[in-house]
Amino acid sequence: MASTFRIGIDVGGTFTDLVCLDEAGRTVFAKSPSTPADQSVGVMSGLSELARRLGLDLGAMLARTDRIVHGTTVATNALLERKGARVALLTTEGHRDILEMREGLKPERYDLRMPPPEPLVPRALRIGVRERVKADGSVLVPLDEASLDAAIEAVRASGATSVAICYLHAYRNPAHEVATAERLRAALPDVYVSLSSEVLPQIKEYERVSTTVVNAYVGPAVRRYLTALEGRLAEAGLAGPLFIILSHGGMAPVGDAWRLAAATVLSGPAGGIAGSRRCVELLGVPDVIPFDMGGTSTDISLIAGGEAALSAERGLAGERIALRSLDIASIGAGGGSIAHVDAGGTFGVGPESAGAVPGPACYGNGGTSPAVTDANLLLGYLDAASFMGGARPLDRAAAEAAVDDLAGRLGLSRDETAHGIFRLINLKMADGIRLMTLRRGVDPRRFALLSFGGAAGLHAVEVARELEIGRVIVPTVASVLSAWGMLASDLRYEVSRTHVGDAGAMTDARLRDVFAGLDGAAASRLRSWFEGPVRIERSAEMRYGEQVFEIDVPLSDLDWEAPGLVERVHARFHARHEELYTYASPDQEVVFVNARAAAVGAVPAVDEPEIGPRDTAPVGTRRAWFGAWRDVPVHRLETLGAGTTIAGPAIVEAETTTVVVGEGDRAVVNRLGWLDIALRATS
Amino acid sequence: MSIAVDPITRSVIGHRLSSIVTEMGEAMLRTSYSQILNSSRDFSIAITDVQGRLVAQADHLPVHVGALPWATKAVEARFDDVVPGDVILMNDPYHGGSHLPDVTAFVPVFAGGRRALWTVVRAHQSDIGGATHGAYNPQATEIWQEGLRIPPVRLYEAGRLRDDLLDMLALNTRNGRDFRGDLAAMVGAAHLGEKRLARLFDEFGPETVETAIEQIYDAAEARTRAVVGTWREGTYRGEAFLDDDGHGREDIRIAATVTVKGGEVTVDLSDSDPQSTAFVNSSHANMHAACVMAFAYLIDPDIPKNAGAIRPLTVIAREGTIVWSEPGRPVTMCTSHPSNEIVEAIVKALAPACPDRAMGGWGRRFRFALQGKDPRTGRGFIWHLFHARPGGGASPGGDGWSSAGEWHSAGGLKFGSVEFAEVRFPLHFHAHEFRPDSGGDGQHRGGLGVTLDLEVLTAEPALANTAGDGIRHGAAGMSGGRDAAPHAYRLLSEGRPPRVLRTKEVGIPIRPGDVFEVRSGGGGGWGPPEKRSAEARRRDREAGLVTGGEA
Repeated sequence: MASTFRIGIDVGGTFTDLVCLDEAGRTVFAKSPSTPADQSVGVMSGLSELARRLGLDLGAMLARTDRIVHGTTVATNALLERKGARVALLTTEGHRDILEMREGLKPERYDLRMPPPEPLVPRALRIGVRERVKADGSVLVPLDEASLDAAIEAVRASGATSVAICYLHAYRNPAHEVATAERLRAALPDVYVSLSSEVLPQIKEYERVSTTVVNAYVGPAVRRYLTALEGRLAEAGLAGPLFIILSHGGMAPVGDAWRLAAATVLSGPAGGIAGSRRCVELLGVPDVIPFDMGGTSTDISLIAGGEAALSAERGLAGERIALRSLDIASIGAGGGSIAHVDAGGTFGVGPESAGAVPGPACYGNGGTSPAVTDANLLLGYLDAASFMGGARPLDRAAAEAAVDDLAGRLGLSRDETAHGIFRLINLKMADGIRLMTLRRGVDPRRFALLSFGGAAGLHAVEVARELEIGRVIVPTVASVLSAWGMLASDLRYEVSRTHVGDAGAMTDARLRDVFAGLDGAAASRLRSWFEGPVRIERSAEMRYGEQVFEIDVPLSDLDWEAPGLVERVHARFHARHEELYTYASPDQEVVFVNARAAAVGAVPAVDEPEIGPRDTAPVGTRRAWFGAWRDVPVHRLETLGAGTTIAGPAIVEAETTTVVVGEGDRAVVNRLGWLDIALRATS
Repeated sequence: MSIAVDPITRSVIGHRLSSIVTEMGEAMLRTSYSQILNSSRDFSIAITDVQGRLVAQADHLPVHVGALPWATKAVEARFDDVVPGDVILMNDPYHGGSHLPDVTAFVPVFAGGRRALWTVVRAHQSDIGGATHGAYNPQATEIWQEGLRIPPVRLYEAGRLRDDLLDMLALNTRNGRDFRGDLAAMVGAAHLGEKRLARLFDEFGPETVETAIEQIYDAAEARTRAVVGTWREGTYRGEAFLDDDGHGREDIRIAATVTVKGGEVTVDLSDSDPQSTAFVNSSHANMHAACVMAFAYLIDPDIPKNAGAIRPLTVIAREGTIVWSEPGRPVTMCTSHPSNEIVEAIVKALAPACPDRAMGGWGRRFRFALQGKDPRTGRGFIWHLFHARPGGGASPGGDGWSSAGEWHSAGGLKFGSVEFAEVRFPLHFHAHEFRPDSGGDGQHRGGLGVTLDLEVLTAEPALANTAGDGIRHGAAGMSGGRDAAPHAYRLLSEGRPPRVLRTKEVGIPIRPGDVFEVRSGGGGGWGPPEKRSAEARRRDREAGLVTGGEA
């Protein structure tokens, strides 16, 4: 019998990566150029390429495919490029400026000449509707039909194609939002409608309004793309379902994904985290910091105890999105960051970037500013001839000219300047990681750094050293990590419910009821598209009465039947609070904000193929800077056998990155062919 | 003694210093106890040297940081026998402090056997004792009525906590538990900084670090001089007015004479009006902080705000004036008023010297606190107004930020959720949105203030206090822009005529069902109104931000 396939698709800025896994654990990769105007074009041609590599035609492959998991950047790009829908906002009369008030906050403390940003919905399209629900959910002012009709007329006249409905206290009583949506849909059936009580049924109006508006802004584009892609796939003969990976790392079928489009803005990077988690499982290392350094930006996240950190404090492109999502910090620096000296004689790297065009000087596209990549070339870490497997030879003379110009202004030698650039960018990266770990209340030193992305290998070891991290891991699947990780991820479907109230008034029975309802809803939804075993994870968001931030409290492993449940939930909250913020206040009132259940469908694990002993010898030597000019061995990662040990200083070239191993560090090739580097002990 | 430090090493050290203050700030945010710190972030972090010079600061409240050098100097003046493990505490405005709620902790950092730096954490306490909760007391005529005065004292001696002293301090505040919790967080953050600095000294050696710090000052100074060098030389005058002091004096004048010459700026506040009997006086340190704030807003945002950046600034003032009161006078209001007026007078003076940099005035602070009983729980409550933020000033860069606050916070203070307030307090927000026509007109329009109609849902009478300024004087227009509308707050009570709220009142009786009608002021305009584009005016009218007549 022919085996069945699982396919992972990750659409990146330049390439669409595809990975296919068959039942025997065989993995086949394909790549196709991304097509930003309509991403489904690139996806379909990538699938054809994948089929070709499997020796099948597209239809035959899809007919045997029981699942496609897809990370998309449609929502991300719509928001970043400001190319979303024309949105109107219907809101409680007297409260139409919540979005633009931004809770009174403005970034950049000392920049008083910075103009305010344009809100996603201009004021003329923010329309007050006469209605009011009180804090306890009772109705103070009934929904006024004349006012609503006037608002709907205004929407029609404005040409808005998407409408966000956000009334005060709708998380408590959504009746007015629901009635408004019904009337709006009847009057304007083509308009995309987002209700705050569906998008983010939680107290705090700024977060709810902003998130709902983002949903309305990106929703139509996401719907258009996903329904088109689903149609093309069905036409081409896809047998199984298409799942979209969400910002929180879970997955949803297409219809759910476009209805909650704001939850897909980190769909792309979420794939990277999925890949990192897969690495963690394969290695049995529970605590890692995924470090994805590219040309213009670097993504940093955290996996502790095998779990990726989540946050609801995030946003994108200056817009607040309060949905839970993976906690990924993006630093606007990478291989293309430009070194400079300012009017005070201070040397710095970034934030300006050479970008892809013209790129670093050594790309030979006319760039004259010294970038991080130029420094790496001059320090001997990169080889001009073998960059990107020889596909893009570098221009050494151009890099020298650019760095020399800066060196002249600093009164330093070329070598000193190049090394200074290298050092400063490493510091910047270390700062980003330190801040991330600090915010999660963890010590970076117990983590391993997981290096992926084109520029990561050059810097990972020195960044780790700066943080006193002792271990760096470079997987060989780095280039397709996202698509590869999606395949191995469990299917996860979350439901949540706001329950504002004192935990003091909560009883064991009530708590069991709330969760039983959520469990049932999550599980039945997941079972409609998944046949395997399903387990339930429970958690709650709680806070002290006087606080404004909730924390996420995992509750899965509690004994739910034993008496004293509420007290034990409280105890769990106090302990978690202490863990995060160093103190607990057991005598303070505890507030139960959200209850959450996730149904998780476990995907059978597939082992990665192991490599046997192969070569151990270097492929050559290169002159590179390790405190002084040294002739160091150069290895090719793909040819090294398991168990090979490399003593630094050394350079290891892999398919998509170059790894610099420092003096005293020891790199070992593990059974999967990955590089596992132990840094020399410090003081 | 100085050794050569190359520019790379200097940058690495500079980078480390700023990452240390950032890390201290994060630690403070995560461990502090009271809401004013962990939510409103009313605290500041810095590293100073033993001469009281600011080495590095985290991006917190501008009005705090410009004052920290003076606090450091007071600590240095008091103690000449500091040893490792000491922790110094202070708040007194007549010993280098700003106002009593701002308690400051200092941890010394030793290198090469001598004292080199201080890590400094300043945090606004929710209460500091005194006659009224939270220290804002319009009736105070002496600083002793405002709260507990702490001159520089050792909280820890060589690593040993003086718990008897701590007991005394905590006993003199209304919520001793919060006080202890926040103080522990402050000391913890300062110690974290000390640990990180020790590592920095180990790695590079004290001479290299200290030389690098000198170079970092020099570099910031050079950049500032380059900016000031482009300003038109001359002597300029600017003034701004406090509405009143609540004790019968009105239109209290803050006068700045500012001279720009040879890349340097001298601010002379000597002509300002005499001091007051009320809490609108400024302490010496706070006056300096306000001058630094104005200067920092006018130079480039990305120049590090360290001691070097302000070397080209000289401040002259006279003791006994509203900007620098004599010992014993009350000063609690000073971090907002007259800070905001000092900034405005200086920016106004310098507008002709650097018209492409001077921005319209930001709003003034007019807060009130409501004290009563929540009929739903039977418990007492105190609620402070942080909503209805005033507008920010317009600038050469564009229109002002609406509802972004005052000069002294500039978008750094967050107001809480309306829904949250309604759930937690017996309050109903009938309206909370932009106040049309409140921004100053100009080529660029000032940001808008806010319309707030707030109903009090108590079952029994409640009490309100006010503290603030800006119902007579709106934020100033700049470079031809118009002034903004001032604040206008009224109390509507059934069967009575509306009562205009003044900015410094105590014990205002509030009846159940009363409505606060809050209309907060906007930001000042920038540039002549006739230069505002027809398109911008059309958009303002369409958005309902400006009503009435055609342009």
